Amino acid sequence: MNKESNMTVLLKGILRENPVFVLILGTCPTLATTTTVKGAFAMGLAAAAVLICSNAVVSLLRKIIPDSMRIPCYIVIIAGFVTIVQMIMHAFLPELYELLGVYLALITVNCIILGRAEMFAGKNTVGKSILDGIGMGLGFTIAMLAMATIREVFGAGTFFGIEIPFLSTHTIDILIKAPGGLMVYGLLIAVVNIITKGKAIKKKEFSCAGCPSAGICNGGCATAEKEAE
Amino acid sequence: MDTFKSLVVILMSSVLVNNYVLNRFLGICPFLGVSKKLNQAVGMGISVIFVMLVATAVTWPIQTFILEKFGLEYTQTIVFILIIAALVQFIEIVLKKFIPSLHKSLGVYLPLITTNCAVLGVTINNILDGYNFVESMVSSLGCGLGFLLAMVIFSGVRSLINESKIPQALRGLPVTLIAASFVSMAFFGFAGIVDNLFA
Amino acid sequence: MKKNITSILALTVICSVVAVLLAVTNAITAPIIEKNAAAAADEALLVVLPEGEGFTPVDLTTYELPATVTEAFTENNGGVVVKLKTSGYGSDMVVMVGIKADGSVSGAVCLSSNETLGYEKTYGESTVGMTADTIDSLDTIAGATKTTEAYKNAVKDALNTAVILGGGSVDIRDEAQILADNLSAALPAGEGAFEKVFITEVLTDVSAVYKATNGSGYVFVSGETFVGTDAQGTVVSQVDATLSATIAANAQLIINSELTEVDLSGYEMPKQIEKAYTTATGNYVFELKAAGFGINGDEYYYPSGEHIKIKMSLTADGTIIYCETTYQNESEGIGSACADEAFYSQFNGKTAETYGDIDAIAGATITTNGYKTAVSKTFEAIKILKGEV
Repeated sequence: MNKESNMTVLLKGILRENPVFVLILGTCPTLATTTTVKGAFAMGLAAAAVLICSNAVVSLLRKIIPDSMRIPCYIVIIAGFVTIVQMIMHAFLPELYELLGVYLALITVNCIILGRAEMFAGKNTVGKSILDGIGMGLGFTIAMLAMATIREVFGAGTFFGIEIPFLSTHTIDILIKAPGGLMVYGLLIAVVNIITKGKAIKKKEFSCAGCPSAGICNGGCATAEKEAE
Repeated sequence: MDTFKSLVVILMSSVLVNNYVLNRFLGICPFLGVSKKLNQAVGMGISVIFVMLVATAVTWPIQTFILEKFGLEYTQTIVFILIIAALVQFIEIVLKKFIPSLHKSLGVYLPLITTNCAVLGVTINNILDGYNFVESMVSSLGCGLGFLLAMVIFSGVRSLINESKIPQALRGLPVTLIAASFVSMAFFGFAGIVDNLFA
Repeated sequence: MKKNITSILALTVICSVVAVLLAVTNAITAPIIEKNAAAAADEALLVVLPEGEGFTPVDLTTYELPATVTEAFTENNGGVVVKLKTSGYGSDMVVMVGIKADGSVSGAVCLSSNETLGYEKTYGESTVGMTADTIDSLDTIAGATKTTEAYKNAVKDALNTAVILGGGSVDIRDEAQILADNLSAALPAGEGAFEKVFITEVLTDVSAVYKATNGSGYVFVSGETFVGTDAQGTVVSQVDATLSATIAANAQLIINSELTEVDLSGYEMPKQIEKAYTTATGNYVFELKAAGFGINGDEYYYPSGEHIKIKMSLTADGTIIYCETTYQNESEGIGSACADEAFYSQFNGKTAETYGDIDAIAGATITTNGYKTAVSKTFEAIKILKGEV
């Protein structure tokens, strides 16, 4: 992994290892806050900010944090940054703060951030970790915007709150509701599957092996699957 | 009677109408990840109910009697997530030591729950909605039951998917999400049922 | 062991550093958040008081305000915003009213309601510019009397609140409270419990009579004056000799009034007449039923329709002494006004020639007509009883 050039580290998050469409991380905000482009944009930027900061700090402290205690330490660092972002948004962007509501606090348990801390920042230099954070954050934001655009334009007939003639009178209401979110997400993953055929990381099933949190849960998921069989 | 009524409304609305998984998208990761088999789904669901109840029982008093009292509301996120992480560890240790049989069936799911946003979500939402202690517990129970219900229903749907022929691009996650979308649509039918429950 | 200690130490250090960072951020952002929240709260109040600035909430416990007031704010230029909770037609309405420093309404909106007709959404506009002196002249909307009446009273309460907050004093008692206070003042022995007396005699200079439910006496209303008497009719209130004598005479009439029921089986009475009585002084008292809304015409009844019950007293020559609605189940807020004293007391003093002159109930023509028809039958009934027909 250390052999990757800086450019690859930065760019892989946008498509080849897109956290939303390929790594299937952070599904919860992806579905919940993409009803409006504005909300998706704010969520993307907030998560990216937390991701970059936590990546930087985690990689800075990677030699100090004892291995056995790393997950609680990561969680504290991430939760700290989330709270700071929360407070700053509350103070300077109150409208967006209201819009995102509880999902802002839930960035803490967004597995993209913990996943990147565990998979990348804990093993790489500060510089690369920041680049990874930027790339992943960008990938997340782009994915969010793509989903939100589809949902808002066809579901509400607006884009960034601006009404679109014709579409605003012919809306597909279900798209901005919960089922629409799941459906658009499923279809977009299928599209990305086709585009990146062969190039993207093979991820046949949503299962434990590919889960970035695998390390965190000590293979709990895999054990669970085995037990079940 | 009125309190009882409002509690039933909270319970029913969090199980059916505002189902955490299908309507608010909290806990969607385990919903997609651990719903392939029915017994897995049930095990995960019960563990989540258990952790949600314990987490609410601990976080509500801490929020009310410590954080609010000393003006430390801004540390809510960090305090709650640490409490949940510690609780999950603690529950696992206790179960392992004293009730090994239960640990054997639920233990494997417990570590997964730390990063389950439904648990953090329900504890924060209870505070945001201004529920008192009993209401919070009922709402947590409802959310947990809703999670279990969604998991069980969905595991049935998935066993059907496994037996079907699916286009290449949709295989795996995409078709799972689309199926989830239909289950979510079915839950739409419950909207309004709670408001008219006592009407 | 050493490994454990370093682990714990590392986590503790990270936690403390994060805690310090959070405290610093909080110290910077908290005042801004607070300011934003205050500005947002002000913005909601600006809807009804556009030129207001710097709102401060009023501690309601330090003033004696109308019971409907839930929140009040004063503003730098002397304006006031009041939030009130009142009950409209079957539901609670929350109304917010802005009042300028000059005491006139600058805006009124209904924040939440569950009314059926939607008039509460627009009625507030008609109150703009009203003052405490002019608000009574504002019309309610026919067909939505309950809603608009409640709204109007809320605005009136708000105007009174503004006066009180400005240091003035206002009688904030409602009509029922004023009546109860006056009755108690006239006859303290009644212990505040009075019921209206159905008057069967021709009284002089008296518009209404109340009886203490504990039997301790009567209160006579003469013009604006409330005069109390004991159970034997002796005046106990301090009034001038002329009035005292008049009231004492009236009291004797009331106390000695006795009704004898007339057996109607021998007469062919209009079907509206249910019972008839005569008094010792030769007056007549009738209990009647009137066809209300839902009972069509003379013959045909809808199953849902119910009769309005009326009790009336008349002199032998056919002048109505007293009229009262004793039961009704008309449309709430419309025909139900037939149970209002303002409606039925119009008949007092009317005769067969003049009973038609009363004001109809707005929007309830059928109820009014049914009522009038029933009233007219009493004149006929007296003639029948006297054997003139």
